[in-house]
Amino acid sequence: MIEDGLRDRLRTVADVLIPNAHGMPAASEVGVADGQLDRVVAVRPDLGDAVARGLEAIDLDDVMGSAERLRAADPGLHHLLMLAIVGAYYIHPDVRKRLEYDGQEPVEVRPEIIPAYVEEGLLDAVLRRGPIYRSVPDESEDA
Amino acid sequence: MSERAEVLIVGAGASGGVVARRLARAGIKVVCLEQGRWHDLDEFPAPQPEFELIARKQWSGSPNDRGLWEDYPVNEDESDLVTLMFNGVGGSLILYAGDWSRLHPSDFAVRSLDGVADDWPISYAELQPYYEATDVEFGVSGLAGDPAYPAGAEFPHPPLPIGAGAMKIARAHARLGWHWWPGTNSVLSRPWNGRRPCAQWNTCLNGCPEGAKASTDRTHWPEAMAHGAQLVTGARVRRVIVGTDGLARGVEYVTEDGREHVQEAEVVVLAANAIGTSRLLLLSDGPGHPDGLCNSSGKVGRRLMVHPFANVMGLFDEPLRSWNGHIGSKIVCYEFYETDEARDHVRGAKWSLTTTGGPINAALPTRAGESVWGPEHHARVRQYLGRGASWGIFGEDLPDDDNRVTLDPELTDSSGIPAPKVNYRVAENSRRLLDFHIERVKESLREAGAYHVEEERLMRYSGWHLIGTARMGNDPADSVVDGLGRAHEVENLFVVDGSVFPTSGAVNPTSTIAAFAARTADELVRTRNLQKVPA
Repeated sequence: MIEDGLRDRLRTVADVLIPNAHGMPAASEVGVADGQLDRVVAVRPDLGDAVARGLEAIDLDDVMGSAERLRAADPGLHHLLMLAIVGAYYIHPDVRKRLEYDGQEPVEVRPEIIPAYVEEGLLDAVLRRGPIYRSVPDESEDA
Repeated sequence: MSERAEVLIVGAGASGGVVARRLARAGIKVVCLEQGRWHDLDEFPAPQPEFELIARKQWSGSPNDRGLWEDYPVNEDESDLVTLMFNGVGGSLILYAGDWSRLHPSDFAVRSLDGVADDWPISYAELQPYYEATDVEFGVSGLAGDPAYPAGAEFPHPPLPIGAGAMKIARAHARLGWHWWPGTNSVLSRPWNGRRPCAQWNTCLNGCPEGAKASTDRTHWPEAMAHGAQLVTGARVRRVIVGTDGLARGVEYVTEDGREHVQEAEVVVLAANAIGTSRLLLLSDGPGHPDGLCNSSGKVGRRLMVHPFANVMGLFDEPLRSWNGHIGSKIVCYEFYETDEARDHVRGAKWSLTTTGGPINAALPTRAGESVWGPEHHARVRQYLGRGASWGIFGEDLPDDDNRVTLDPELTDSSGIPAPKVNYRVAENSRRLLDFHIERVKESLREAGAYHVEEERLMRYSGWHLIGTARMGNDPADSVVDGLGRAHEVENLFVVDGSVFPTSGAVNPTSTIAAFAARTADELVRTRNLQKVPA
C-alpha cells in the first residue's frame, strides 16, 4: 500500500524531472504517482520500497540538485528511483503513442526476399579481398 | 539412492544438452541434475508493456538481481565486471543473445602466433565438423562464405534481416573498404523442427516468446529424453564423490525441500559454466586433494576470462526502428580481429551491431547521458528512441591467474553451500585494445552518417562469456583437463563447458562450447567400452 503523502511527494519530484514540454505531457498528467505507479509496483514490488527510500533523499525545493547528490551517494538507489519514474511514464499508452513507439511487437521475417545488401552489391568488395583470417602453421585449411 | 547412471551430467544448459542428446541417441543411460527448472514460452515477458521493467529484475542475467532459489549468489565486490548466467533447463541460453560466432583459426594458436597465453591442444580444423553439426542441431541462420573464416558448409537457414541501421553501416564499410558480414545467429529465420521463426521482438536477452532462439530445452532435451535421458530439475549438486580408487563415483545433491541425495554414476560430466563448474570442483575437496578436486595444478578457478566489452552507439537523423529485430548480431566486422604489430596491444576484437531498445532504455542516464531531466528530457528521448545503431566490441581477454573464482568464506546459497567469489580486473592490454577499437568504431559510425556518437566503455553488466577456469592442456602440471575435457587426475570425470578454454578468442563462446561438447560426447560413445569406471 503506497501512502498518499508518498504519492504527493513523487508527483512533485516526477514533474520536475519530466515536465510538460516538447508536446509531451508532464509525469503527473499521465498518473505517474497514481495508477501508473501501481502498475510498476505490481510487476516490480522491489521498486515500491526503492521509491519510498529514494524520495526521502530528495529535497522538494531542489529536486535536480538533491537527485544528483543521491546519484553520487547511492547510485543503486538513484537508479531504482529513476527507473520507477521513467517506467511509470513510458508504459503509459498516450506517451507511447506520442513517441510513435508501438512497443515490442512481432514482425514477420521474410527470408525469401533477397536482402538489399545483396542487390546493392555491398558484399562484393568483401569477397574480392579474399580470405582475411590469419594462417596457422600446420593447418592445411588455412589461407 | 537412485539407480547408477552410465553418464551423469551436471547442468542442463548448452553443453549439457548437447552431450545428453548424443549419448542418449547412442543408447547410453544418462541422468542430468539441474538446479533450475523448465520454463514455458508464455513466462517470458516480451509482449507485456512493462517488459523493460520486468527484464531488469525477474529476467535479469545476474543471479544477484534475480535472487531465485535455484540461483547462487556471486560475490563480485572485487570484480570489475558483473557475471551473468541463468540456472534452468537450457541454462544461460534462455537469456543469451544468440550471437553464434565461431572462433577463428588463429584463436587456437595465440602462443605460436603472438607469443602470449597458450595454444589450444586442438585446432579449428578439428572442431569444424562439430561446428557444422551443432549449427544444424541448434538451427543457425547465417550466410556462408565469410572470408574471415575457412570455407565450410552452408548454414542450415538463411540470415535474419539486418535492418535499416545495419544497412547504413554496411554501405559505410563498403566505402571504407572494411570487412562486414551479415550476423550468424542461433535464431531461426524460418520454421524448423516444430519451432517458430524469429518474430523480431527484440527481447532475446530476456527470453524468446516464440522459441525461435535456440536453447537446449527446445533443441536438445526433448530428443534426449525421448531416447531415455533422465533430467532431474531442482537438484543442486554440492560435491563430486571420489572413491579410494581415484575415480568419480557420482555426486551429492540437495533439493529445495532440504533433502540430501546421492546419484551414482560410471562417468561424471560437468557442464555448469566456468563459475559453477570451478565452484563445484573447489567444493569437492577431500583427502588427497585438499585444495579441490582435479586441482594439483592449482588452475581450478584461475584464468577466468569474460571478454571486456564496450558499446558505441551512433545516432541518426531518420527513424531506424532500432527497438525491433533480433539482438544477437545484425552484422559483424572482423576488420581488426587479428594482431597487428603496429598497435600497442596484442590480439583484437569482434564488432557486433545490435539494436538499442525501447523508451525506458532511451530515457535512463546510461543511454541518454547526463542532462536527461527537465524540459529537454523529451527532446533527448526522441533523439535516442529508434534512431540508434550500436556496435558492441568484444575484446580478447588474455588469461591471468589472478582473475579467478574462489569459495566465499561467508556468502552461501539458499542451501547453505559456499557461494563463489569472483576476483576479476581488466588487464592493461584489454584497455588499450578497447581504446583502439572504440576509435575505429567511431569512424565506422560517422562514415555511416551518425551525427552523434556515444560510448559506454567497459560496461560493468557484460560478463556473459564465462571462460577458462578449468583449462584444457596437454601438461597436467599446468592444466585441469586434456583436449577432450577429461580431467587429468580423475579418469572418468569430464568438463565440457567454457571452463576448458585455454584462451578466450574475441567472439561469443557458445558455438565453440557446443562444438567441443559434441566432440567429447562422440568420443565418449566411441570409447564406451574402454572407459575405466568405478567398481
